[in-house]
Amino acid sequence: MNATYEHVTCLGCGLSCDDLTVTTESGRIADVQNGCDLGRAWFGSGVVPGEIRSRGESVALEQALVDAAELLGNARRPLVYLAPELSVEAQRAVVAIADRLRAVLDGSTSLAAEYMLAAQRRGRTGATLGEIRRHADLMVFWGVDPTERWPRYVRRVANPESPPSLVAIDIGARRGLPEATIRCSIEPGLEVVALGVLRAAVLGRAPLVPAALAPFTDLAHQMLRARYVVLVHDVESTDPGRDPDRFEALIALAQALNAPTRAALSPLIAGGNRTGAAQVVAWQTGFPMTVDFGSGSPAYRPGDIVRGAGWERELDALLIAGDPGSLPHKLASLLGSVPVVLIGPRTSAASLQATVLVDTAVAGIHESGMAFRMDDVPLPLTTVLASGPPAASEVLSALLEHLQRMR
Amino acid sequence: MALRITGGTVYDPANGVDGSVRDICIEHGEIVAHVSADAPTLDARGMVVMPGGVDIHAHIAGATVNQGRRLLPEEHAADPELRPLGDGRSGTGGTLPSTFTTGYRYAGLGYTTVMEAAVAPIAARHAHAELDDTPIIDAGCFLLMGNNEYLLDRINQGDGAVTQDFAAWLLGAGGGYAIKIVNPGGLAAWKSGQRNVTGIDDPIGSSRVTPRKILETLADAANGLKLPHPVHIHCNNLGRPGNATTTLETMRALAGRRAHYTHLQFHSYGEGWKSRARELIEYVNAHTEVSVDVGQVMFGPATTLTADAPVEYLLHASTGRKWTNIDLELETGCGIVPYSYRDRAAVAALQWAVGLELFLLARDPWRVVLSTDHPNGASFRSYPELIRLLMDRAYRHERLKHVNQTLLGGGALLDGLDREYSLGEIAIITRAGPARLLGLRRKGHLGVGADADVTVYATEADRSRMFATPRYVLKGGTLVVSEGTLVRAPRGRRLHVRPPYDNRVLGGLKRHFDQFATVAFENYPVRSVPDAPVGP
Repeated sequence: MNATYEHVTCLGCGLSCDDLTVTTESGRIADVQNGCDLGRAWFGSGVVPGEIRSRGESVALEQALVDAAELLGNARRPLVYLAPELSVEAQRAVVAIADRLRAVLDGSTSLAAEYMLAAQRRGRTGATLGEIRRHADLMVFWGVDPTERWPRYVRRVANPESPPSLVAIDIGARRGLPEATIRCSIEPGLEVVALGVLRAAVLGRAPLVPAALAPFTDLAHQMLRARYVVLVHDVESTDPGRDPDRFEALIALAQALNAPTRAALSPLIAGGNRTGAAQVVAWQTGFPMTVDFGSGSPAYRPGDIVRGAGWERELDALLIAGDPGSLPHKLASLLGSVPVVLIGPRTSAASLQATVLVDTAVAGIHESGMAFRMDDVPLPLTTVLASGPPAASEVLSALLEHLQRMR
Repeated sequence: MALRITGGTVYDPANGVDGSVRDICIEHGEIVAHVSADAPTLDARGMVVMPGGVDIHAHIAGATVNQGRRLLPEEHAADPELRPLGDGRSGTGGTLPSTFTTGYRYAGLGYTTVMEAAVAPIAARHAHAELDDTPIIDAGCFLLMGNNEYLLDRINQGDGAVTQDFAAWLLGAGGGYAIKIVNPGGLAAWKSGQRNVTGIDDPIGSSRVTPRKILETLADAANGLKLPHPVHIHCNNLGRPGNATTTLETMRALAGRRAHYTHLQFHSYGEGWKSRARELIEYVNAHTEVSVDVGQVMFGPATTLTADAPVEYLLHASTGRKWTNIDLELETGCGIVPYSYRDRAAVAALQWAVGLELFLLARDPWRVVLSTDHPNGASFRSYPELIRLLMDRAYRHERLKHVNQTLLGGGALLDGLDREYSLGEIAIITRAGPARLLGLRRKGHLGVGADADVTVYATEADRSRMFATPRYVLKGGTLVVSEGTLVRAPRGRRLHVRPPYDNRVLGGLKRHFDQFATVAFENYPVRSVPDAPVGP
């Protein structure tokens, strides 16, 4: 059976381009048009493993769910980890499971914890991609080159009819956009100072400018002359050499620019509907990440897993929902010591030791639903392959029902 | 399941019932004339029985609300909500509660229908997903259209003929219930560097479009489509001294056209911060095509959150408080600033007084209904306290003594307003009136065929306590609150319309999307809005 699907949403990166055309042949993806290399790789052939195992044995889904529910339901201090590659529908079920279990809920949003916390302290100014395309006349790539991880970013946001000026800020080895016409370089240690210089100039103050930052005075003037400034940055960068205070400084600069002109921050976030996870956790709990349901209601524990706050030693069971392909170190280090339930796409390919493992469909390939673009625009997901493992949203909802029946 | 609510004192103003003792019969989720003699009964003797509350204007779900939630970690930490029921959900409260908690708390207050008043169509899918997680209450979305660039462009091109079809298409695509205008043209100005408009005849950029033309176009669209609710207008110049002039000009511009003006309190100020409530409400009293909700300010924490982004910028700039602004492509934007109204602050006290003046000088409660523009003026949880202020003159006078009176001189409240709302009038401004203004024929009354949304209050002299903790609440015939405790949380229904439109509008729209939007035209409509559209 051959089929062609148009306007397909790709979750290969946070851009979530929804203009792809996908052709399938005999149960495989044969062709992907309009997408980038990253997108084509994300779709692949669409053939994914469909294993269901419990204690090393292949079992029926129902048995796996019974075993998973028993393991998780009897744990005193379970951790539920919301990994990428789930639809909003599946994410909603995962948060419900964590609530039911009185678990600690963490997930890939924590990779952007420093940015999220800065935005909670100060607020933020943002814009959807189309608004950037409509209005931006100056774009500053702050220590990030989107070419590799968000390949179509510049093409999608830079208006070809009135192209914006492109500025690259190189921070140590972290290069800004290669094709930028203006380029400033600084050492990582001066990153926050440079943002302070820009903000002071924007606010009309006369800052003391270190010689190494002289070009930033010119940049500030250029920003003041622009109609709409966009600052592009990578919110998940875990570069140990970079100053985490840059997030708050970037937010403050973008906010300050809105007095003399208009400005927005454009945060770059990886794919797999990570943005949806932050949205769902926020609407169901009031907090965007790392929630402890241990006391029977959501308590906020931002960044604890990354920082290693100590309570993770109490954990006695772990549910990883989503693609376990890239887990943070702290979490990966727990894997040998507690029983693990894995539910998500390609779990059997992740070579992780799991007590129960259920391979599911991939949202956006075999499973429809909804996902959020990195600028918080919600998009529909298309099923391009009808055959595949069970849908993650259905498996996770079934697990929730098992847990509800237990108590 | 049949049920007879026996012996209660019933307030059902839509059916002319004003405090008579009678039974209410329920079967299959509806009010019926009779149930069999052996049907179960709910003893309401000595209690007050009203239809379930209907909130005509609140912000409870969607992109802006969820951005707002993220700004309030301290509020949420201070107000945890344990999991109710066997399979209920925990959450957090504050001025912007999590979704499940929002549903539980509205029901706990005896409210069973709520309108989410500002949904950007591009993010409508998000609002519906949150409403899927908001139990018990029936809910609908007002879709923001007053700064939509396709619409503005059509007006500029003198192509007004397609605007009604466009509005109809957009309502269907976003699963919306009504057309919403926020600061017409002002958002388009904010995003393009013009900052804002200052009056209804300011041109938007270099175009021929003015707020007046936007207002006329969308009011005509709503009326032409015979939508259940007319155009829902948040006027230009919200929150600015002297804005009453703009508000009156707006009402006069649409004279003779059915229109609803929201949170009128925020639009009723004279130059130099004084009340012009008297003038505004006199206009409303004299013009039956006009309806309003008040948007009362109550003292305490609030979160100001609106599509009126330039207002939030000014609030941020003047208070230094944290601020989120999001520009949403081709349609609108949003701004959020957490805030607090203090009775010792002169402007907050004026705002509080202006709202009360509007209520107390209104002659037709059916057209001047209760809102706090939750969470902008106050949380919906302050409705009981507001009801007490309206019903209890002595309490109100006492409260007035303790607020900053610097700016209250010449206002009606300080001059002395002795009116007290009756229970029947409260039933009008909190359920029968909003339901009628929304065109929800099965809501806000207890006649045969109405949805069996019923609230039973234990009679108490302290009206704040009485309305804060209803004894029983039924939603669609299901008992959801019993003895003041949540006992069930069924899913709520979605209220939306799907007006017909001429397909010829689609070609131009598709070109507009291809040229400017970053979402494919084909992916824009929400594909699965639950429940059938509300019929005419």
